[in-house]
Amino acid sequence: MMKYANYIILFLLLSVGFLFKDYIHVSTNLLSLFASKDAIEKLAVADKLGYSKEMLIIVKGLDKSSKSKVRKISKELQGIDNILLVQSTLRVSPEVQKYYKEYYPLLANFDDSNQSLQDVKEKLKELYAEQSKNIFYSAIDKNDPLKLFSFDNLNSLNISHKGEFITLGDYGYLIRVSTDVSASQMNKAKELYKSVNTIVSSYEDVISFAPFYYTVENSTKIQKDVRWILVLSTVVLLFIYYLLLKNIRLLSHTLLALFSSMVFAALTSTLIFSNFNVLSLAFGMSITAVSIDYLLHYYFHNFYRSNQKIDKNVLYGYLTTTVAFGIFALIPIPIISQISFFAVMSLFFAYLLFTFVFPHLELKEYKEKSQLKVSRVMIPAYVFFILSIIFFIYSGLNIKLDNNIRNLDYQNTKLREIESLVKQHNTSKLKPVIVQAKSKGELIDNLHLIHEKLPDSFSLASFMQSQSGCLKKQNILGAYDFNRLNKMINEESSLVGFRDNYFNSAYNFTQTIPTCQVDNFDIFKSYNLSVYQKQDSYYTMALISDIETAKEFGFVTSIDVKEIFSQQSKQMYKDLLLYSLIVVLAIFILLLFSVKKRFIYALNYILFPISLTLAVLVTFVDINLMHLFSLIILIAIGIDYGIYMSNTKKLSNTMLAIKYSILSTFGAFGVLVFSSITALNSIGIVISIGAVTIFTLIKVMK
Amino acid sequence: MLKILLQLLIYSNILFGNSYYFSEVRYNFAIDKSVEHKGEIDFFEDGLRILYPDANKSLEYKNESLIYKESNKEVELNEMQSQQIMRYFDILILIHKGDDDLMSEMFEVNKTSTITILKPNGMIKNYISSMELLKDKKKLKYIKLFLQNSDEITINIDDEIR
Repeated sequence: MMKYANYIILFLLLSVGFLFKDYIHVSTNLLSLFASKDAIEKLAVADKLGYSKEMLIIVKGLDKSSKSKVRKISKELQGIDNILLVQSTLRVSPEVQKYYKEYYPLLANFDDSNQSLQDVKEKLKELYAEQSKNIFYSAIDKNDPLKLFSFDNLNSLNISHKGEFITLGDYGYLIRVSTDVSASQMNKAKELYKSVNTIVSSYEDVISFAPFYYTVENSTKIQKDVRWILVLSTVVLLFIYYLLLKNIRLLSHTLLALFSSMVFAALTSTLIFSNFNVLSLAFGMSITAVSIDYLLHYYFHNFYRSNQKIDKNVLYGYLTTTVAFGIFALIPIPIISQISFFAVMSLFFAYLLFTFVFPHLELKEYKEKSQLKVSRVMIPAYVFFILSIIFFIYSGLNIKLDNNIRNLDYQNTKLREIESLVKQHNTSKLKPVIVQAKSKGELIDNLHLIHEKLPDSFSLASFMQSQSGCLKKQNILGAYDFNRLNKMINEESSLVGFRDNYFNSAYNFTQTIPTCQVDNFDIFKSYNLSVYQKQDSYYTMALISDIETAKEFGFVTSIDVKEIFSQQSKQMYKDLLLYSLIVVLAIFILLLFSVKKRFIYALNYILFPISLTLAVLVTFVDINLMHLFSLIILIAIGIDYGIYMSNTKKLSNTMLAIKYSILSTFGAFGVLVFSSITALNSIGIVISIGAVTIFTLIKVMK
Repeated sequence: MLKILLQLLIYSNILFGNSYYFSEVRYNFAIDKSVEHKGEIDFFEDGLRILYPDANKSLEYKNESLIYKESNKEVELNEMQSQQIMRYFDILILIHKGDDDLMSEMFEVNKTSTITILKPNGMIKNYISSMELLKDKKKLKYIKLFLQNSDEITINIDDEIR
C-alpha cells in the first residue's frame, strides 16, 4: 500500500482541489502585486474619471497635407466601436455651446457700474461710427450693445494649437480620442488597438499612442516569452534529472512529489489569499524545484536504505529555509509575501514526502561509482568571509536602486520612444490630480480653491463658478435694472441713426438667470473632465502645474502613476531591507545551532554568493526589486548547502548531491536569463551568478 | 546669380500666386447703410494677403498666423477678433481653391451652371446663413455672404492683377 502512497497523495490533493474549485481564486491583475491597496483604489478612481483612456494620434508636420490627413483620419476613427469622441480642433461641442448660452449671464464678467443716459448715448454713437469706419467687419451684438458682458475663453488654456487645430507642440497635429476602454479590459483593448492601428498604418508619418498599448503589446510578448521559457526549463530539468539519477522510477516519483507539493501549496495559497496572483503561482512553482536537494541528499547518502528516521542536516536545512521564507511571507509587499507563503507550503509538503513517504517506495540503492576529485587548491573559509565583507561594502557604496517598476516589464522600446516623443513636445506641463468632496457643490468649490492658488489650473472650475461666487453674481444681476437700460437704449439708438427697435431684445437674456447648480457634467467629457461618485464621495480630475502646492489641500491626491509607483517602490525597498535583516539574523541564530563550530564556513554559502552577485550587479545595472527577491531565493539555496557541507559525513556524496541540486536550480531559474522580460531576466541573472559562485565554494573552500 | 534668383521668385509667384482687385460692399442692417472698401487680394500657397490701399491697411494670413498692419506698422488684434478673421479667411481660401471634398463637408452645396449656394453645416451656421458664389468661365466673379443678423457682404472680384 505504502508503495503507492505517492500516487494516492496526489490523487487526494487533486480531489480536494476539485471539491473546492469554486473557492479557488487566482488574480491576473499584475498591478495588485506591486501597488498597495490605497494606490490601486486611487488608480481605479482615476480610471473611472477617464484617465489613461485617452488615445493620441500624432500626425507629423504642420503643413497642409498633415492637416488633410487629420481630417481624413478623424472621419475614419469616428466609425469605430468604443470610441466616444474624436477631437482634432478646438471647436466646442454643441452641448457645451448650449451650456455657454444658458449660463452666459453667470459665466461672463459683468460691468455693473450704473449707465447714465449720457454714457448710453456716447457708447451708441461710438458703435455707429465703428460700422462705417472699421476695415474689418464685426457684427453688432444687439443683446449687449454697450459691451457690459465680456467672456474670456478658457477652453484653449490647456491645449496647444495652430489655428483651430490641436497640435503636439511644434511636432505636428494631434487627434485626441476618448474611449471607454481601460487597460484591464484586455479583449476590448486589443480590438480597439487593432482597428485604430489599421487606420493609422495606412498613412505615412502618423503614429498613435495610448497607455493601454503597453498592456496590449506587452501581454502578447510576455505570453510568448513565458511559454518558451517554460518549455526550455522543462526540457532542461527533465534532461538533468534523467542524466543524474539514471533511474526512471526515482525520476517519476520525484516529479510526482514535486507536483504534489505544488498542488498542495497552490491549494492552500489560493484558499487563504483572496487575490493570489498567477505570477506568484508561477514563481512559487519554480521555487518548489529547490526542494529537490532534500531528495538528492537523501538519495546519495542512501538515507532511504538506512534505518534513520530523520537526517539532521536536511531537517536543519529545511527549517532554516522555512524560517527565512516564513518571515518574508509577512512582508507587506504582495508579490514577495505570496511567493514566500507558497514556498513555505510547497517546501513543507516536499520535505514530508521526501522524508517520510519515499523510504517506503522501495527505491534502489545508490551505488558509488567513482570518488569525486577534490581540488588541491583549498582556500580557507575566512578569506571568503573577508571577501564577502569587501563585496558588501563595495555594493553598498555603488548601489543604485531602480524605482521605476515599469522597468520590470517587457522592454517595449518602440512604445517608449513614442511616449517620450509625446512628453518632449507637449507644451502643457500640467499634471493630473484627483480632487475629492462630499457633494458636487463642494467639489466645484474645492476646484476653485486650487485655481486661486494655481491660476493656470484646468478643471471643471474653468467652466463653472463656485457656489458663493455664483450666488453673488445672481444677486448682482438680480439687483441691476436692465429694463431701464433697455428702454434708454431703444430710445437713444433711433436718435443716433440705428434702425427702429433694432435693440428691442437688449439685455433680455438676463431675465432668466439659471440656478447655480450644474447637474450634467457629462458635457465636459470632451475636455476629459467628469465627476465620479463612489459611496458618499465625489471625485473629479484637475490638471495643475504644481502638485506639491496642491497637495497642501487635504482633498487633493496625485495620480501620477510614475510617482505613485516610485513612492511605492521606495517603501518596498525599505520593507525589503528590514525583513532581509530579520531573516539574516534568524539564519545566523539557526546556523549557530545547526553547524556550531563551522559557523563561518556555513555562513559563507549565503554571504559569498549574495555579496559577489550583488557586487557584479551594482557594477553594471541598477538594482530592481526582482534582483533583490532572487537574492533571497539564493539565501534559501545557500543555507541548505552550507549546512550539508559543514556537517557532512561523506564529503564526496554531499558534493555530488549539491552539484546536481545546483544544476536543477539552474534548470528551474537559470533559463530565465533568456527571457526578454526584465523581471524574469533579473531572476535568471542572479540565480546563475549565484549558482556558479556556490559551485566554486564547494570546490575550493576549506 | 541674383538675376536667376529674382526670376525664380517671379516665376514662383506666377505659379502659386493669384492676385485680384476687389471691392467689398457691406450692407449693415442695423444702420441700413452700405459701406464700400476697395482692395487687392493675393492668394498664395497656404494663405492670403489683403491690402486696402486707400486706408493704408493690410492683413496677411499665413501659416495660421495673422498680421495686421496700419501704415506699415504692425497692430495687435485681440485673440477673439483674429480668430474670427482667420476662420473667415479659411472660407475664402477654400472657395478660391475649390476643394470640393472639404467644401461638401463644411457646407450643403447647391450648384447651378454659374451660381453656387453654400449653406454651412457646423458652428459657422450660427453666424452665416448662406453664401452665394458666381463663377463666369470658371473664374470667380463674386461672393455674397448672408449673415444671421441680416447683414450682407458682397465681394466683387474685379479682375486679375496679372
